[in-house]
Amino acid sequence: MGTATGIIRALNSGIKHLAIKRFTLRYPEEKLKFVGDGYQFDPSTGVGIAGLKGRHMLFHDHCTGCQLCSIACEGVAEAIAMVKVPEEQKQNKKSIMPQIDYGKCVFCGLCVDACPFYALYMTNDYELSSFSKEGLIYTPAQLAVKPYVAQDSEIQITDRGASHG
Amino acid sequence: MTSELPPGLALQKVDERIMTLNVGPQHPGSGHMRIVVQIDGDYIVACDPDPGYVHRGEEKMAEYRNYILNIPHLERPVIHDSCNVLYPYVLGVEEIVGIEVPERAKYVRVIASELNRCIYTMYWLAIYGIFLGHSTMFMWPAGDRELLIDLMEKMTGARVTHAHFVPGGVRNDLPPNFEDVCLRQVNYFEKRIKEYAAVFYDNPILISRTRDTGVLSRQDAIRLGTTGSVLRASGVDYDLRIKEPYDVYDELDVHTNVMTEGDSYARSRVPWLDMIESCNIIRQALQKMPKSGSVRTKLKPNPKGKGLDSVYKRVESGRGSLGCYIVSDGKTEPYRLKMSVGSFRNLIALPYLLKGEKLGNMPSVYWSLNYWPVEADR
Repeated sequence: MGTATGIIRALNSGIKHLAIKRFTLRYPEEKLKFVGDGYQFDPSTGVGIAGLKGRHMLFHDHCTGCQLCSIACEGVAEAIAMVKVPEEQKQNKKSIMPQIDYGKCVFCGLCVDACPFYALYMTNDYELSSFSKEGLIYTPAQLAVKPYVAQDSEIQITDRGASHG
Repeated sequence: MTSELPPGLALQKVDERIMTLNVGPQHPGSGHMRIVVQIDGDYIVACDPDPGYVHRGEEKMAEYRNYILNIPHLERPVIHDSCNVLYPYVLGVEEIVGIEVPERAKYVRVIASELNRCIYTMYWLAIYGIFLGHSTMFMWPAGDRELLIDLMEKMTGARVTHAHFVPGGVRNDLPPNFEDVCLRQVNYFEKRIKEYAAVFYDNPILISRTRDTGVLSRQDAIRLGTTGSVLRASGVDYDLRIKEPYDVYDELDVHTNVMTEGDSYARSRVPWLDMIESCNIIRQALQKMPKSGSVRTKLKPNPKGKGLDSVYKRVESGRGSLGCYIVSDGKTEPYRLKMSVGSFRNLIALPYLLKGEKLGNMPSVYWSLNYWPVEADR
């Protein structure tokens, strides 16, 4: 194959791309859809449930304040601190619950694996930016709120190429 | 005069024609490392790679964390290839703790590590393209990589640093309908990377720039101890997936791609051929995988070794053989952990390859070694 033929073939291969669909995801107008409601863990079987490892969600009526999530995080990111909560739950004698600093969290999800009481899950919320470091620290009350996520874009593959539809 | 100096020190003759040039560590063409090159006009007379700028002490850190909590930080050296970096550690801990892995988990691991190999290689290829000034080859792999990142995200819940492998299997089962989505996207991915031939690998401009530059002969490749795609590009058929099959690689039909030229072009082409082979492995694994079953053997929260014990496991990563040596003294933490990485082994070939080359060929020779600075520093 001559040099000129090779260069023309290379150019031709690029020109073909004018006809195929654009693959770019137009974030933030469009957002990727994830499977499930986030990463969860079933302590009875010891196997997790697939999902995005995003911001955590804490169920106050399950948390016993056992600190296992905090102990798991000590070796990883030291993002979890146990803080006093004003409310009184009958299973939580010490009234302490995890507070997560997302400036330190690495989203490995080992705290979710450590929780034996189905109290800590992860959600599909990944947009956690804040103007201050304090804004990244989520208190137990903030963690109890289920995030609103509007994610509907998926990768579509047709004869004209792949795109985010 | 030289004989009186202590070993390792030598007086250097000052030559006014020679100029010393520091490429890096801030230079975008070097990664997180410095390459000290001495040039005579346009030709390199000596080269001294200087890694170590991103050393994090992974091995020492591992001695203070238990076998589970070591997982997130041990995959940091190569975040794009995090499943393969973690693989030897997980295999080693399984032997130390003494647990069996379910059959389905082995297949899930093979799929995850092959997807990760492709994700890493696409990133490497994108940088190789932009090093050579080929911006199309930067944009295309960076975009097509997204197909596989999407699969990993569905599978593990994270785009990079998945923390998916644990001793005893994987952390979660595949999501419903994953097999169909995976097959569809991997097939399209394979079709896309085959299009790279016309625009990049058969492009006469690339061939004229990389052919016969930085030639590593078969004898030198073996003598210097290189591994992975660098070794295979020099004509040595060596792939740990075939030579020492781990998990279920012995049940799959794996082929290696060997080229005999040993130049930059061959070293850049072998990883691309490996990606096509990875697509074949993924399709086979999806077909042979048990459709249901457990993916994780339940492990005690704080697993311990069975006394004084040591284990060495190695796998084929995107950059070659990647080994992990774990010494256990029966406690919950490893007594010593040593990672032997492919990047560091390949770097030793750089001074040999660059001698006599033009300075303009340095980026293509350097990056064709499939070198990842963070992994080499650990």
